Amino acid sequence: MTTRINKGRQRVDMVKTKNARNLQVTFSKRRAGLLKNDSELCTLCGTEIVIVVFSPSDKGVFSFGHPSVNLLVERFLGRNLPQPNNDVHNQQIVARREGSIRELNNKLMNLEGVFQMEKNRGESLREIRKRANGLWWESPMEELNLFQLQHLKKRLEILKQKVEKEAPMVNNNAFPFQTIGGAWIPSNFAS
Amino acid sequence: MTRKKVKLAFITNDSARKATFKKRKKGLMKKVSELSTLCGIEACAIIYSPYDTSPEVWPNTMGAQRVLAEFKRMPEMEQSKKMVNQESFIRQRIAKASEQLKKQSKENREKEMTEVMYQGLTGKGLQNLNLGDLNDLGWVIDQNLKEVYKRIEAVKKGASTSSSSSAAAAAAAASQAVAPPMEQKPAVVELGLDPMQRTQTEWFTDWMNSNTSDQHIGYGHADEMILPNFNDNHNANVWPNNFYP
Repeated sequence: MTTRINKGRQRVDMVKTKNARNLQVTFSKRRAGLLKNDSELCTLCGTEIVIVVFSPSDKGVFSFGHPSVNLLVERFLGRNLPQPNNDVHNQQIVARREGSIRELNNKLMNLEGVFQMEKNRGESLREIRKRANGLWWESPMEELNLFQLQHLKKRLEILKQKVEKEAPMVNNNAFPFQTIGGAWIPSNFAS
Repeated sequence: MTRKKVKLAFITNDSARKATFKKRKKGLMKKVSELSTLCGIEACAIIYSPYDTSPEVWPNTMGAQRVLAEFKRMPEMEQSKKMVNQESFIRQRIAKASEQLKKQSKENREKEMTEVMYQGLTGKGLQNLNLGDLNDLGWVIDQNLKEVYKRIEAVKKGASTSSSSSAAAAAAAASQAVAPPMEQKPAVVELGLDPMQRTQTEWFTDWMNSNTSDQHIGYGHADEMILPNFNDNHNANVWPNNFYP
């Protein structure tokens, strides 16, 4: 059975959230979701859209606008006439911007795909551990007595020596092992 | 609503795009409204539709004008602090996704190398590991060693102060844990459990039969034997009744 980290979708009453902390959390999450939806709508349908959202507790204001917040706000408030969109230079600017947005979206989709793969890998690793016929040293250390701990210590030290022996030509940067993944560079996604 | 992965690209099919637009626009307006109500905040949304000359506005034209006027009254810096457009917003999302990915990869790597470490503890070889694997394996071993050292210190320190029940529980757990590989991971057991299982692995039987003053312990098929240093133990000779005074 998988352990649930989140409570999942729940029904919410459409009244102002009472608890101040919940309110802040709700605002954070929903605002993030809202902006994500705005961005997707723009990408999928090519619409121009502006959203302005004031933060609770006077923490400022969030705004999203495509192509830009100010341009659309000015247009809506009638303070300037919409630009004629048929001159070549303007079209070039628009085309270049759309191109870079397209690239960014591709990069984002790619990343999310790789992340999903890694998440799945994490799941299967978790399963492997759950199903493993646990030898005594694989138990949490809180459950081991002093004798076992010292035993394990010896064993680990021996193993460590074996590992260090296996990599004799490595330069000093690898020892002591500073950080996991230090010698591993993910090759299939952009930095 | 289907939970299919959305392809983040302009929908070229006109009718599909129009349908998506209508659905998403409706959903978006609803979400803005909910956000405003649930959090008691002012907001507005203006969507310029490619199918209409006039934009769709939430809450309404007057309300939006009011909100925007207030927005414009704020100092320039306040306005731009959290302002984003498509490009900057997607860049932010990319940064966040990268972070998530890095974290998950690191976690997976650690899990993976922990498995390798457990294999190594049974005496299996380290032949098929490349330099990166060895580095990460070493790191995981170091982490575990650190924890073992800490636990040893803690147990030694707590040996005099720990209550008899917790020491007994630890010993009982130890007896259960040293038993041969079971179906489930060994867990802390309650007192009164049969200390010894009938089935024994080879090394455990060997150990039991060996002279108590000169302990040899073998693991699986490994040809190395290690002689644990028992000098700093309290009563290590009798197994598994290791109670600490």
